[in-house]
Amino acid sequence: MQGPGIAWYLGISAFLFGTGALGVLLRRNPIIVLLSLEIMLNGGNLALIAFARHAGNGAGQIFALAVMAVAASEVCVGLGLVVAINRRRLALDVDKLSELRG
Amino acid sequence: MIHTPHVDWFAISTVLVLLGASFIALLGAVLVPAALRRTFAVTVAALGSLGGIVTSVWLYVDSANGHRVIADSFYRDRWTALTQVILCATTLATVLVGADRVREHESEFFALLLASAAGMTFFVGSANLMVMFLSLEWFSIALYVLCAIDYDLEGSLEAGLKYLVVGSFGSAALLFGSALVYGATNRIGFAEIAQQVGVHGLSGDLLLVLGLAMILAGLAFKSSAAPFHMWTPDVYQGAPTTVTAFMSSATKVAAFALTFRILRTAFPQEAHLWTWALAGIAVASLVIGNLAALVQTDVKRLLAYSSISHAGFILIGLSTGTALGGRALMYYLVPYSAMAFGSFAIVAARERELGKPVTLENLAGFGWERPFLGVAMWFFMFGFAGLPLGGGFIGKFYVLSAAYDHGWTWLVIVGVLATLVSLYYYLGVVRAIYMRGPQLAVATGGSPPRETLLHIAVGAALVVSVGSLVAVGPLITLARHAASALPF
Repeated sequence: MQGPGIAWYLGISAFLFGTGALGVLLRRNPIIVLLSLEIMLNGGNLALIAFARHAGNGAGQIFALAVMAVAASEVCVGLGLVVAINRRRLALDVDKLSELRG
Repeated sequence: MIHTPHVDWFAISTVLVLLGASFIALLGAVLVPAALRRTFAVTVAALGSLGGIVTSVWLYVDSANGHRVIADSFYRDRWTALTQVILCATTLATVLVGADRVREHESEFFALLLASAAGMTFFVGSANLMVMFLSLEWFSIALYVLCAIDYDLEGSLEAGLKYLVVGSFGSAALLFGSALVYGATNRIGFAEIAQQVGVHGLSGDLLLVLGLAMILAGLAFKSSAAPFHMWTPDVYQGAPTTVTAFMSSATKVAAFALTFRILRTAFPQEAHLWTWALAGIAVASLVIGNLAALVQTDVKRLLAYSSISHAGFILIGLSTGTALGGRALMYYLVPYSAMAFGSFAIVAARERELGKPVTLENLAGFGWERPFLGVAMWFFMFGFAGLPLGGGFIGKFYVLSAAYDHGWTWLVIVGVLATLVSLYYYLGVVRAIYMRGPQLAVATGGSPPRETLLHIAVGAALVVSVGSLVAVGPLITLARHAASALPF
């Protein structure tokens, strides 16, 4: 099988992870933050699948499948919280959620 | 035909008992009439965590020869079992404190609490990267919801969302690190990783080292060690105090026990790297936790920073990476979890009395109004500070002697200095409780609520924290047996 080498896949997955991390750190809308978290997890997933293909064992692929399920439930809880906050008509801006000062 | 592995059901019985109780408690939300719902949920949750204690003690007795079960994905050994005992005991205490404190959605609260405890008991036994990630998310997601369960309070929702964002960030780092380690070694089992590294001489491999660093960062987020602690004060303050008590004790126990296991089992060849990394994290936690605690006036925030500084102490034991360090870690976790739980439970009692956040200011006279809780708080604070009134003293002594034994005198000095600084704010709490008489402005008439169950939980925490000083010999023997399950 010919195709891009493992380094390319790893590069893209690191790029995805970095993009997601920057999104979590810089963006303020909680929905975008949740989206960025998903991108981070998908970066990890891509790396797992690429390595599984490279190594020829299935562990990484099964890992990635499980991660997808976890990511879905995580974003489900996250969106639930966003809806609950929105219902209370709080500002949808993580910087304005400052009743607790950290 | 699909080949299914042999399942040793007894090895995961603690997890199953907690999970089963969680399902029953949740069913109670629809099947049990509203009037009985609280009693039902509390009873099921208490029985479930009691059952968990029984099975994990049994497992401890019956697992002298540690080995892996269920397709080599779960450790059945004494390290797992002893941690599970601590976790289940903390859960039981949380159930008692939560019993008359949870305001609504009782069934859901206790179901989530038990589900989270089940996740933690699974987490500490995990034997490969996938089980570790899955069980980490299992208990974390339950905790996110628990933090936000008082959803009519702004602080609670905010705490839930903050914990979710920061916690998921940590989990994502852990996942990416796991992927890199898998890429470097082609294995996900802890023991196999170490074996591959040994066979192929990978110990300086860039992928492996990067992966290890990201896994450590992910776990440090969970154990709230500096510089991964920024969420801790906010979340501890905003979450319902019952949940805070659970998080500050159980989550840390699980995270530290697993961190030591994965480092010893999967990365023994990289010990020269992670011992220094952990020592650095320990010093950062001690400095940041103690200095920030000095200026806090909100008691929950103060205790949150105190928990960060204790993460530093525990990491001193961890960073040595020796068998002595492992024993010190296991011993430290027992009085620490009791004191952390007990102190937050007392804050919960005061909070209910006042109906507003507890500060050092409005803690005045508490020791005279509620003598038992006052004395207990006094013991917990002195125990936290490392005075010989509880197991905290031996714990600190033990981790510092592990560092000394490792040849790290400088770390011992940092630890002692941190203890001296911490005396100031711990004594500040005791002073606030006793040095001023009952404040007329606070006394609103009538005697304080009875709260029998809360008193039982605080009493149990007191017995454990003082008892770990009295029964130090047997406890160290337990810790030694547990640590001998790990490869050294």
